[in-house]
Amino acid sequence: MPTYVLIAGTPAVADLVAMAVSLDRGVVAVVVGDESLARAASVPGVDTVIWLQASADAALEAYAGSVADLVTDPGVVLAGRNPWERVLLGAVAARLDAPVLTGATRVVAEGAATVVTHGVYGGIAQATVAVEGPVALVLDGGAALAGGGTAPVETATAAPTGITQASLTPHQAPAADLAGAARVVGVGRGLRSADDLPLVQALATALGAELACSRPVAEGLEWLPKDRYVGISGQHIAPDLYVMVGISGQIQHMGGCSGARVVVSVNSDKDAPVVAQSDLVLTGDLYTLVPAITEALERSGHGQ
Amino acid sequence: MIIVVTYQWAPDPQEATVAADGTVDFSRAKPQISDYDATAIEVGRALADATGARLVGVSVTGGAGAAPVATKAALARGLDEVLVVSDPRLEGAGTTMTATAIAAAVRSLGEVSLVLTGDSSIDNGAKMVAGVLGGVLGWPVLTDVTAVRFVGEGLEAVRVVPQGVQTMAVTAPAVIATAADAAKPKAPGMKDVLAAGKKPVRIMTADEAGVVIRAEGVLRSTGRAPAPARRMVRIDTSDPASAGAELVSSLRAAGVWGG
Repeated sequence: MPTYVLIAGTPAVADLVAMAVSLDRGVVAVVVGDESLARAASVPGVDTVIWLQASADAALEAYAGSVADLVTDPGVVLAGRNPWERVLLGAVAARLDAPVLTGATRVVAEGAATVVTHGVYGGIAQATVAVEGPVALVLDGGAALAGGGTAPVETATAAPTGITQASLTPHQAPAADLAGAARVVGVGRGLRSADDLPLVQALATALGAELACSRPVAEGLEWLPKDRYVGISGQHIAPDLYVMVGISGQIQHMGGCSGARVVVSVNSDKDAPVVAQSDLVLTGDLYTLVPAITEALERSGHGQ
Repeated sequence: MIIVVTYQWAPDPQEATVAADGTVDFSRAKPQISDYDATAIEVGRALADATGARLVGVSVTGGAGAAPVATKAALARGLDEVLVVSDPRLEGAGTTMTATAIAAAVRSLGEVSLVLTGDSSIDNGAKMVAGVLGGVLGWPVLTDVTAVRFVGEGLEAVRVVPQGVQTMAVTAPAVIATAADAAKPKAPGMKDVLAAGKKPVRIMTADEAGVVIRAEGVLRSTGRAPAPARRMVRIDTSDPASAGAELVSSLRAAGVWGG
């Protein structure tokens, strides 16, 4: 009952591989993508790489059936949170009738059973469950794999079904790279109007940070694009520095940034939930404090 | 032709309280049709109107979702009828069990061309139901879809990925998870609520739906979510300029600013 890691479209799954290796049951990487991705997946600790060559016009999701055919005898099956990764994992879970758990923080092999500690109800609490038989886990992927292992790459027959890409229109502006950013500034509903966004953008620029937001700012108010919202159901970030401006600190948001090393909050409510979840707390009017911080940063300079 | 929309009658975990032992108390949280599901219903309604299809809501519940208040709330959103798989043993069912029960309900309807789901379930938020459901049904699955329409025998779906905007051709039947911004659901009006009371509601037990209930693991323990220990250092903000300067020196001391 080896541990399977499903890899599709991106090599950014180092945390999944590390978890798979720690279970010490043998590791099989099932790769859907091009040959360079298959080679990248052959890292120390991986015993076998099974490569399904993805054709340029098929969606990665179209390989769900082929992937499910290959994962025959797993204990644990791991995949990241990208749309195609989730669909491939869903197909495997359905085929094996395996439970799907998200946000696992600890996974231990106990003989044939697997004991998983994971977040429940979107991460407001956690539960530890013992699963006999296969279990599918969805996790943040982590850093990119870069090969260097000795696992042979075996080619498997791939039969894409159901979904083809008819066209791809590249974005005008490059997509936000929140997951890889060292510094992030997040803005919430404490901001009174979209017209005031330049105030927060100036802070982000002074910090050399990516601009992010809470869910309502992206989904309800639509002040920022959806790929910039941080939260349980949005982007998961782990920057060195996360500065939260006008964000109250609800679990939906904090669940997406718990990996940040240093958290700063600027909020008008001294009792907001965010206070207990911050390293540095500035209570007051963001319209006064944010420009003052921006100016102090610009004066100190050389942050990069 | 039938278009199915899956929905859930569940409270928002943000309104729940968590005890020190990790027990989650939903007693003060009101169950609802989530915005995600309302968005999927809105997308389904537009598709059904454009094609003349019947729009059927499918839901899985431990019991609360079979109550008239729940089925009416769903129907008022624009569904033509609802089919609820209700069984006390499905209370707290995980993703795979839930998707398996939805699949059984979908199969019982006959010629379904499309199943729409919301972006994410309100309670678990794992975005995994669509993937497992498609796996059980053996249908293609596409998620995060912002627009979908029938073209010939199949579907055309649009979604935004890091590389750009993808337009996909999907064979029908298929499972499509709508993105949160695929539509703007309107609050149901008085007319919608009154009409909802007259629409058909069917409730099945798990046995009637042919669903075999299985435990998805044995619960060993519960606990609070582990929160990273934060320092909670308050910076005096009575003078904004010196607050800014103090923050900068704190960031420097923490090694996240300057050299």
